Amino acid sequence: MHEPGETEVAFTVNGAPARIRASGATPLIYVLRNDLGLNGPKFGCGLGECGACSVLVDGKIARSCVVALSGVAGREVTTLEGLGTRRQPGIVQTAFIEEQAAQCGYCLNGMIVTAHALLSRAPDATEMQIAQGMRHNLCRCGAHVEIMRAIERAGKAMRRGEE
Amino acid sequence: MMADFDPASLSKTALFALADTLIVYASEPGGKPDMPYVLLDSAGRIFGFNGHVDLGTGIRTALAQIIAEELDVAPGAVAVILGDTARTPDQGATIASETIQKSAVPLRSAAAQARRYLMERAAAALAAPMGSLTAADGVFSTAAHNRTISYAELLIGVQARLPLDPTTPTKDPSAYRIVGGSTQRVDIPSKATGELIYVHDMRIPDMLHGRVVRPPYAGVDAGDFVGASLLSVDEASIASIPGVVAVVVIGDFVGVVAEREEQAVAAAKALKIEWRYTGALPDLKDLAATLPGHPSAPRVVHDVGDVEAARAGAATLLDRTYVWPYQMHASIGPSCALADYREDRVRIWSGTQNPHPLRNDLALLLDLPADRIDIVRMEAAGCYGRNCADDVAADAALLSRAVNAPVRVQLSREQEHLWEPKGTGQLMQARGALDADGAPIAYDYSSWYPSNGAPTLALLLTGRIPAIPEVWEMGDRTSVAPYDYPNQRVTIHDMAPIVRASWLRGVSALPSSFAHESWIDEAAAMAGVDPVEYRLRFLTDARGVAVIQATAERAGWTAHTRPQTLEASPDAFHGRGFAYALYVHGKFPGSAAAWAAWVAEVEVNRKTGEVKVTKVTVGHDAGLMINPAGVQHQIHGNVIQATSRALMEQVTFDSAGTAVSEWGGYPIITFPDIPKIDVLMLPRPDQPPLGAGESASVPSAAAIANALYDATGVRFREPPFTPEKVRAALQAAGLLTGPPTATAAPKRRRELWSKLVQIATGLAALMVTVSPWSPAIAPRAGPRPGLYSEATLERGRVLAAVGDCAVCHTVPGHAVNSGGLALETPFGVVFSTNLTPDPETGIGAWSYDAFRRAMRHGVSRDGHRLYPAFPYTAFAKVSDDDMEALYGYLMAQKPIRSAPPRSQLAFPFSVRPLMAGWNALFHRPSPWTDDPRRSADWNRGGYLVEGLGHCAACHSPRNLMGAERKGRDHLGGGVVDGWDAPALTSLSRSPAPWRADDFYAYLRNGYAPHHGAAAGPMAPVVDEMRALPDEDIRAIATYLASFGDQAVTVDRQRATVAQLEGKAQALAPLIQTPGASLYRGACAACHDANVADPFAIQLSLATSGGVHAAKPDNMIRVILDGANGELARLHGAMPGFRDSLSDAQISELMRYARRRFASDQPAWTDLDATISRVRKASSPQGRH
Repeated sequence: MHEPGETEVAFTVNGAPARIRASGATPLIYVLRNDLGLNGPKFGCGLGECGACSVLVDGKIARSCVVALSGVAGREVTTLEGLGTRRQPGIVQTAFIEEQAAQCGYCLNGMIVTAHALLSRAPDATEMQIAQGMRHNLCRCGAHVEIMRAIERAGKAMRRGEE
Repeated sequence: MMADFDPASLSKTALFALADTLIVYASEPGGKPDMPYVLLDSAGRIFGFNGHVDLGTGIRTALAQIIAEELDVAPGAVAVILGDTARTPDQGATIASETIQKSAVPLRSAAAQARRYLMERAAAALAAPMGSLTAADGVFSTAAHNRTISYAELLIGVQARLPLDPTTPTKDPSAYRIVGGSTQRVDIPSKATGELIYVHDMRIPDMLHGRVVRPPYAGVDAGDFVGASLLSVDEASIASIPGVVAVVVIGDFVGVVAEREEQAVAAAKALKIEWRYTGALPDLKDLAATLPGHPSAPRVVHDVGDVEAARAGAATLLDRTYVWPYQMHASIGPSCALADYREDRVRIWSGTQNPHPLRNDLALLLDLPADRIDIVRMEAAGCYGRNCADDVAADAALLSRAVNAPVRVQLSREQEHLWEPKGTGQLMQARGALDADGAPIAYDYSSWYPSNGAPTLALLLTGRIPAIPEVWEMGDRTSVAPYDYPNQRVTIHDMAPIVRASWLRGVSALPSSFAHESWIDEAAAMAGVDPVEYRLRFLTDARGVAVIQATAERAGWTAHTRPQTLEASPDAFHGRGFAYALYVHGKFPGSAAAWAAWVAEVEVNRKTGEVKVTKVTVGHDAGLMINPAGVQHQIHGNVIQATSRALMEQVTFDSAGTAVSEWGGYPIITFPDIPKIDVLMLPRPDQPPLGAGESASVPSAAAIANALYDATGVRFREPPFTPEKVRAALQAAGLLTGPPTATAAPKRRRELWSKLVQIATGLAALMVTVSPWSPAIAPRAGPRPGLYSEATLERGRVLAAVGDCAVCHTVPGHAVNSGGLALETPFGVVFSTNLTPDPETGIGAWSYDAFRRAMRHGVSRDGHRLYPAFPYTAFAKVSDDDMEALYGYLMAQKPIRSAPPRSQLAFPFSVRPLMAGWNALFHRPSPWTDDPRRSADWNRGGYLVEGLGHCAACHSPRNLMGAERKGRDHLGGGVVDGWDAPALTSLSRSPAPWRADDFYAYLRNGYAPHHGAAAGPMAPVVDEMRALPDEDIRAIATYLASFGDQAVTVDRQRATVAQLEGKAQALAPLIQTPGASLYRGACAACHDANVADPFAIQLSLATSGGVHAAKPDNMIRVILDGANGELARLHGAMPGFRDSLSDAQISELMRYARRRFASDQPAWTDLDATISRVRKASSPQGRH
């Protein structure tokens, strides 16, 4: 803990192994963006308040601005890129595109990743449960209506997929 | 042959040089070609160029639709390039939603002109008359479809350059097939999958990272201190941060450049700077008093009839004052830019809303001709007016120039909040009059509006331009009320900004409409007429009348002439309100954008004053809609953002500047509070398109205020309508059903250390009677390598971890055990010593005997007495075997030469020999002996806790001489380094009882579910203990639990927790203070349990020891500097809010937390003073 300088941390990102040498205290968001070239997680507040930098760590939502690199050693990190690509978007991404659920879209990463975590756990979440589950993800443009529709659409698609 | 090119990366000259292309271009005044509008090539590609930018409103898609319509191709076949200075026409700033209304016009003509040119060539090529040709998907066909030719084929061998002919006929709207149909936005798939599209994601090789440090006049941009307040920058303060490339200082502009982003962040945070600014702002809490006192010039923009004469003869005067608060654009992403400055050229990737004006600013800042500056516009976070996008572009340019390398700069959340040009506050006065029939006969409207263009910050900070406030005449938007008042006068008091301010969605029109529409609602009530009916009586604008009627009908409006006609309950009032506006923007008299009307429905909580907007019906007439789905989406956004502004948004200031710097202090609306929105778009395909970007937001606040009146009978004239404000109004009106605000009576706290000096001095006499001298033990070389086996050294390593040697003997960031850490004690500062085997500065010359004597008796090798900050009173209990293994391990470390400072204590402790007397009184150097009645586990735990673990050193209270108190007080709670070390026994104040399993979880993981996380000095202890085997942690847990209540079962514990949680949950809706909204915005994301439960951390404050503690110190420290223990590694750290929350905000927040989560505990006393003291005493990086 007290050694200054760098440590090497091995973990998994979107299914591929990653080994990063950096200070163990480095916020995960900078490693994902700068060392691994991922665009999904966006810096929004650095305080865990807004959700723009959300990623999944072992399938659970984490705010990558307050997770240290050393904390993900041996763990599995999934970013927006890991949920699908433009050619093959994931279920939640598809629903967001179909519902046109963005204005500026800066919050979109957090919205999609959080919705993915929420629906993975509760694909039949009600409108009120979705609103509650998403309440700590901030959107300034006011795309909430379309985002809610997109999540409900994704929930339906997931339920269909399960049948 | 067609060259493969990307027009988004070519300069204007290169574009014009392309073969096999058709370009329709803008002409400069002399006829010289300027930038292209449209470009078609022989590969069938079509490009549109526009100087405006897409701010998330779908402009790119709408412009593609317009071009596609004229050219008869699919919208997807058109790529639109926006805002690049090197290749798009200068069409000024993107403002007031006028892109569609104004700048789309030449684009449409250019597309039509290109089509006509192609058609002429097609007619020749196909030898058919033009009238017989039809076009579809980029192909011309003859009437019989027997011959075709594509646009691409027509351009082979052609280099056509046509100046724009604005008289080119365009398609008749009745023939539109694409425009007016809903089209999918072209940017969303990229955004949903993380493709490169935002400036924030732009990276180029060798890119460095920059951060700026802003001056303390946060968000103030006028005054003689601007650009002239920097006293000194201490570069040595960041010497220990690796990767720093440069510190750049120009006037008050300060920036750092580093190799890695986190290094730049750390350096900017740690850089010590002295400023000479102490505050210069007037009181902005009471704008109604402050704004008229600010120098201003009245400007009468409208004067019909004679308002004074009408007032003189009126039956009733209706004079009202309205106040609009300062608000923020509050972009969700802090602004970012990348600059690459080399050889007197600079290319900047920017999210600017104003690429061409920004280029002029940069030319001035960098002293470069504008044509050496290339601004590439990329997508950015929505800004709704102006954010810091231009500022950060200039910052990046300065830093890149300084290091001669590309530099990416992103602002911090705090900087974006503090420095964005605010949407200005505004004061509105309506002096009106009604005749005997209740008809409005006079409306004398005045508005005070302090704003300007907010010059690019770096120009001011570097002193490139003087910080002289400039008056901009922007307070007149929609200042004329839309009704036919026979006598109406409108006076705008233009004034310079007080704080950095600029246009925010609805500019001055939203506040003015709030006044107009609130006033007419009051007039209707006085006249005893239904508010919709009353408006219609005095409105002649036919499209306005249509919007009002359609909206009222859609909402199921029922006419009423008094408030409170809707059903109410003891818990809630319901109401609905109406408002209407025709948004008039641009330089006065301006031009009209869309018509809009709102019916807002509200629910007012009678206990708490909380307002919920449950439904908004919004009618809208924007003429021809290019992309109706886009317009509807835009209206939703306007309704939601405007509702947020009306209900919760207000920037607060202190004397220095902006006082809110994160989302707790400036909350915005979240999902559960989004109203149901019903959008009614009036179809007007025959009318020209009108800006839809912000019109729908203009009636918002008035509709909500009018609904509040309908619900309560009380008028609200100063947004935001916060629970506090509404509650106070309900209380004043006798409508509140909840308890009035109560404050707990403070209790006096006993000051423990006040008598310290007298008593200590008295004891000094006693102490000196005991033999004070111990002999030195001769220096000798350490043990020869190999003396101790690997197994012994490994055991020593674990023992060193048990003893937490490194915690006290290491300064963070320095070599382990090299000493020098300052330990604050009530008697003065003790510096830890160098524990590495360096012969001169460390323990390299210590024999095992010397080491053992120090550990057991507190005597250094040279014979001088050690202070019991070194816990030899506990270490005395360590067995000889363990002692020697520890010695072996320490002597095998790498020697580090490091001489820590000498400890300086107050008398009598400054006299070291006196410590012998202290030892005689308080030290029993007896080893640990097992208790045969207890389990082996318990005995092992006891040995570790009482010996090397020295838990009591922190967790036992100390007497006035600094010795641990024994007996019942043993492990009964102490103080270390300003932190409360809680009691580990039945004296614990922990809300949930501790069981052995809890101790185990806490020590093993740094976190026990019902008790919270290790923070402060305990965090590194847990880190060190990772070296211990599980059995030892279990043993410690068993031993510690034996001091507590043995009868606690898991069930009982669960019941206690459930009860605590339930109580906190029940209190949540009842406490609606500013602290509650701080908690919701800054804390709840991690600390609130969640219905759908997607979050990893759910550290409820209902069971937090810090919130329940007798003293607030621990909680203050955690809020200031966060908690980075083992839990942080697993789930994310608690970030420090030192730079994000003020003392006043922390105080509000803690009062709320105490009231809600520890309701059985008394309020903390002296909280404000304690917060201020702890902030000063603790260091930002924390001690360990």
